[in-house]
Formats: sequence, C-alpha cells, structure tokens
Amino acid sequence: MKKRMVWTILAMGLISVALGGSVFAAGDTLVVVQEAEPVGLDIMQSSIQTTMSVGYNINDTLLKPQEDATVKPGLAEKWEKVDDLTWKFTLIKGATFHNGEPINSAAVKFSFDRIMSDTLKSPHKGKLNSFKEVTVLDDNTFTITMNQPYAPGLYMLAQYLFIVPPAYIQKVGDVEYNINPVGSGAYKLVKWNKGQDIILEAYDKYYGPQPAYKKLVFKGIPEEASRIAALLTGEADVISGVPVHQRKKILDSGKAYLTDQMGSMNYLGLNTYEKPFSDVKVRQAINHAINRPLINKALFNDKAILCAGPISPRTMGADPALKPYAYDPALAKKLLAEAGYPNGFETRLAYGTYMPQIQEQAEAFAADLAKIGVKVTLEPFERAVMWDRYKNKLHQMYIYFWDDAPEPDRYMYSLFHSKSRDYYYKNETVDQLLDKGRTTMDPAARVKVYNELDRYLYKDAPWVYLYVIPEVYAVSNAVDYKGMRDGYLIMNTAKPKK
Amino acid sequence: MGRYILKRLWHTVYVTVGISIISFFFIHLSGDPVMLMLPPDATHAEVEKLRQELGFNDPLPLQYWRFASRAVKGDLGISLYHRVPALNLVLEMLPASLELAGAAMLIALLVSIPLGIISAVKRGSLWDVTSMLGALLGLSMPHFWLGIMLILVFSVKLGWLPTSGRGTLAHLIMPSLALGLSLMAMFARLTRSVILEVLCQDYVRTARAKGLVERLVIGKHALKNAMIPLVTVAGMQFGFLIGGTVIIETVFAWPGVGRLVVQAIFSRDYPLVQASVLVLSVLFVLINFLTDLIYLYLDPQISFLEAK
Repeated sequence: MKKRMVWTILAMGLISVALGGSVFAAGDTLVVVQEAEPVGLDIMQSSIQTTMSVGYNINDTLLKPQEDATVKPGLAEKWEKVDDLTWKFTLIKGATFHNGEPINSAAVKFSFDRIMSDTLKSPHKGKLNSFKEVTVLDDNTFTITMNQPYAPGLYMLAQYLFIVPPAYIQKVGDVEYNINPVGSGAYKLVKWNKGQDIILEAYDKYYGPQPAYKKLVFKGIPEEASRIAALLTGEADVISGVPVHQRKKILDSGKAYLTDQMGSMNYLGLNTYEKPFSDVKVRQAINHAINRPLINKALFNDKAILCAGPISPRTMGADPALKPYAYDPALAKKLLAEAGYPNGFETRLAYGTYMPQIQEQAEAFAADLAKIGVKVTLEPFERAVMWDRYKNKLHQMYIYFWDDAPEPDRYMYSLFHSKSRDYYYKNETVDQLLDKGRTTMDPAARVKVYNELDRYLYKDAPWVYLYVIPEVYAVSNAVDYKGMRDGYLIMNTAKPKK
Repeated sequence: MGRYILKRLWHTVYVTVGISIISFFFIHLSGDPVMLMLPPDATHAEVEKLRQELGFNDPLPLQYWRFASRAVKGDLGISLYHRVPALNLVLEMLPASLELAGAAMLIALLVSIPLGIISAVKRGSLWDVTSMLGALLGLSMPHFWLGIMLILVFSVKLGWLPTSGRGTLAHLIMPSLALGLSLMAMFARLTRSVILEVLCQDYVRTARAKGLVERLVIGKHALKNAMIPLVTVAGMQFGFLIGGTVIIETVFAWPGVGRLVVQAIFSRDYPLVQASVLVLSVLFVLINFLTDLIYLYLDPQISFLEAK
C-alpha cells in the first residue's frame, strides 16, 4: 500500500513537472524558432542569418530597406542628396538606445567607424566599402560621403549600418557587447540563456510604433522534424528552415500557414578559364541540356521560379523579355559537335553537402548531361573543403546559390566583377556594365543597364541559370506575420490574428 | 595506493598534451576558416588580409607554439565565430552534457542490471527470451528515429512533454530515454553474460553449499565480481556520452558540447575545436581514472598488481 502511494506521488510529480515545465507560446509572447542559436548577438560581428535575425530586432538602421530596393525613414527622418558623393541626414529627435544613451550624430559616426575598423573584423565592412566617412554637423544632422557615386548606397546603409551606443561599448568592450548588446530597435535584450533561448522585451521608449507582442523569444532547434513538431504543438509561433517536402504537412495540419521570405537562387557555375567550358558553345549546350521544368516539378512541387539570366526574376533589372534556355538535348548535342565535342566529354561536378536537396539536384543534372554524352563525376564536399578547392581553382562545374536580394548590385557585382571574388569568369564588358549599374543614379536608366547586363550574360552563359527556390517561414494561425525578402525575422510587424 | 593514483594523474597530463598536438595539426591541415568567416561577397584581398591578421600564414609549428604558450596560462583563445573566449563557451555547455549523460546512464543502469540478473538466473525462461529480444530491439533502433518517434508520440500526439530544449526535468525525459535505451540494452546483455559466467565459479558453488539464500549468493558474491567489466564499459560509455551525443542534441535541441564541437569542426573554428577537444579529453581521462578507483574498491588486488 505504502509502495503504491510512493509511486503515485512520483508519477503525479513527474506529470506536473512535465506540464509546468513546458514553455508554450501564449498571450503577449511570440516564440520564434530558427535552425540554430545565434553565435553572438552583436550584429556587427557576424553575418550569420540566425544572429542577424535576432540583431535586427535589437538594432535599428538609419533607413528601412523595402522589397523594391527603395528605402523608408528609420532613425533618420529625412535625407537629401548634397552632390553625387554626399548625403545629408537628419535624425529623428529624442530617440534613445535601450540604456538611455541618446541616438545622435556622434553615435552614427561611432557606429560607422566601428564597423569599418580593422580591429572589429566585421564581415559587413566590405558591403560599406564605397563609403568614405561620416561627418557630424550638429547633434541631429550629419553627412555621409562616398568614394564614388554609388547608386545602391542608401539601400546598403539601410541594410548594414547598424547604430550602436558609443558609451556602452567603450565601457564593456566588444566581447561583452557580443553577449549583452544594447541597441536602438523595437526590442531590447532581457536575457540570453545560452543553449536555451534569447528573451527580448518591447522597448517602451522606442521611437516607432510599439510592437504588438511585448515579449519575443528566439530559440534554436536544428532538426527540421523537431522544429515542425514545436510549431504543431504550439511551443513555437514562427519557424524558419521549412524544407519543400515538409510544407504540405504543415498546411494539412490546419494549425499554421506559410509566408514567403528570401529565395535561394541556385546556379551551376562553370570554370570558363579552362576547356571545355572556355567555349561559349559548350556553355550554351549545357544550358540547353538541363531539364529545368522537370526538376522543378519533381523536386520543388513546381514552386521554384525558373531563371532566364543571372538576375533573379524577382529582382529589379532582370530583363522580362528573356526566356529560360529551352530544354533541347538535340540542339545541345549540335552545339557540342560544333565546339569539337561530338562525343561529349568527361567532367566533375562539385557541390556542398550542406545545401538543401542538393544530392537530388546534382544527380538530376548528371542524368540530363549524360543524355548529351557529358559524363559527370559527382563530387560532394563538406563546406570548408568546397571553398578550399574553389580557392585553388579545382572545380570544373559547381553548384552554388545566392539569395535573390531586391538590389541587383548586392549580388551581381560580387559574382561577376573581376575586382570581386573570382567565380571563374572575367569579362570586360560585364565589368563596365556592372560599374555603370553601380554609378548610374537615375533609377530608370539603371534598370536599363541591368537589363543589358542580363541579356549579355544570358548569351555568354558563364553559368547554367537554374531557378529561385522561395524559402518560407511557417507561422501559427494565431499570428499575423508576413515574411520579407531580406530573409530576416524582424518581428515588430507581427500581431495576433483577430 | 598513493603512488598508483599519482601515476594515473601523470597519465592525464601527457595524454592531454598529446591530444592537443594531434587535434591542432589535423584541424589546421583540413581547411581554412577565413573563407567561411567572411560573407561570400568578400574579395580575395579581404580574405587574404584577414588570414594575415589571424596569423594563419605562419608555419604550423609556430602557430602551435603560440597556442600552447597561451594555453598553459588557461587562455585557449577567442572563438572565431562566437567571438567570445572558447573555453568559456565549452564550460557553459558542459553542465548540459553532463546532465544528459548522467541521466541516460542512470536510466540505463537502473533498468539493465536487474534485467540482466533476472535473465541470467532464469536462463532460458520466457522472461529471459523476452528481455533479451527487447534488448536486441533497443540496440537496433537508431537514436535519431527513436528521438523523432518519442517527440511525435509524447509531444505532438499526447502533448505531455516539450518537444525540445533544456530547462526543466520534463525537457530531460525524452533525450535521456532515447540515449539511455541503447545503453540499457547493451548493459542488460553484458550483465546477463557476466553473471552467467560468475555463477559457474567455485566460490559461488561454495556459497550455495554453505546454505546461503540465493539472494545473498547473487547480490553479495556474484554481482560484486561481475561489476568489474560493467564498470569498465559504463566508464568508457559515460566518457563517450559527454561529447558524443550529437544526434540526440540535434533532435532535441539539447545545448551540449557535442553539437558545439561538430559545428566548430565544420566551420574550422580552430580555438573552439582545441578548447572542446582539450576539455573533453581531460574529462575522459578523469572518468577513466575514477573507473580505476572503483576497480580498487571492487578488487584491491589491482593496485598491488599495478604497483608491481
């Protein structure tokens, strides 16, 4: 009898702990689950998505980037062009950091100097390389000068110049700031329980509208099945990293919906420095050999957007008149024969094992290429090895991806300009068009430059242009939230569904 | 006895130094973190500049010397990704790893030893066949699959337990069960075979001949002698569990050292890899040392033989 009582008490205790211990999303709290915990919380010190997403809730920038690559006021209430190299900004009055420090011109200058300093080694420094300096005019106004006219300048400032508190950082140092940041955003950090969660709270003196959720909790769950389980049990309100094959399951549950965010723009890179891909006819042949519509149907449920050229169809500057290379193995064979490869050739295809659904894609490409006599050896590599071999120019064909950001310069310059990182292709005309696109300040004229660039690269085919796979967030039916193309989980726009 | 303990402690020092050298050279030879540290739009000039600043262009022996001279002062460097002291990161994650490993081991031992004993004593019975089949099943089930099944049943269907994370006892139940089940199966089979072997020994026959009740024969004479192989395996497994539960940590988002070190390896975060390997190897050696001390308790002849 006694024994039975002990067991009953133990069982009850266990159940009560279990129920009491569960952290279910409720009321004014929003729980967001990402694929991993951030590596740090100083947004200036990391370009990793999970850190950036938390960081954008804690930090603000001068301007707010928009889906069409334009900007809206942020900490700066207005701005004007002084000349082609100078912008003058006026800060919103009375805004403060979470510790009460004023957000003034000196803080903007400190922030710019910090991100550009050699000691911080910020991964964002390269994105602001076109900017020269910040000059303080008075407490609320300052100028930012550029080294040369830079058309995407305001957009890049909106994305990457985070405004941070000078006095606090000088007091605690960079290492401590990475753990306990103080920002200017809609949410302030309450506590980072390492390995468990990051708790944020709405900043009551925020200069903008107050977020609907007073408490915001970020968690990291690396396994996709566990992440989805957390959403379905109500432990999470929003999750990222939802693979294509799990999306139907979420929708069928009736508990959540999907919202588009950034897209992954996959492509097949070719080493144009060496035979056989130094010949444009071979490159065009490979483009005609890949059956994109079939791959889209089989692997992505027809949800991917087929690309004609290198600029994503969702990005400003893509030429709408271009149509993706038609799947035409006969034409591909003819082009190969004209290039001197009537019987095809042998080649290698490298890809990083960390990319989603990559093995299936690589096998599909190899099967398509086999039909025109190109025998492909697949080379799956771990991330560091993939990059090491890339650096040593050891790839022949490789699969890589880029996010289809709204601003074309954001990726086109990095991928194709000879002064940028070398992706096995150099071309003077392309360099000139990229430079022109970067320095043409008139928006309409700029679109035409990128249209021309898109057409040129379509014909010269240094890549096999594939598709944009739209990434999604899964959101609980109780929450109203729309994902943004920048791919960051900025949650001050989320609100309970009525 | 004292000399034996000192000798074992000295082993800890040179094993640690050896491991630090091996891990340092292997991780440095397997790729460069700089390309991964910078965003893909960084130019080659930016990559080269960072590599120079971090000292990766220096000869490896010089880099090791720099690391070792700082390490002896307790400074294992700053993590390249987390940008905080690497040792602190490992030590922050260590309690979670110890908690999970301890809970899994406890569950495994509490269930498996009685199960193994009963199976051995009732050899060939239905109980024996059923429990050993169960053990085989436990050994065959992959952690990953078992973890997901537990989540689907106890979190999604029944709503009794949180799907993942750490914090309360409720969070610990499923990961420790998923991890403990295969251990349980292994220990049950091991206990059964060791007990069976011991039961054939002369001293057990003598104990029975003296008229001792079966409970005392098994509990006092057989079990204590059967414990040595069990303690050996349990000690090794516990050491392995602390850093080797990556799959369970991934499925249940358990913030342990295992996942930290795997991520560090993939991103070539040299200081973090070094710190993790060092801490884990010291722990492993210490656990082995503790195992040896338990041997001394179970069989005092061991220290005498070792000293000779």
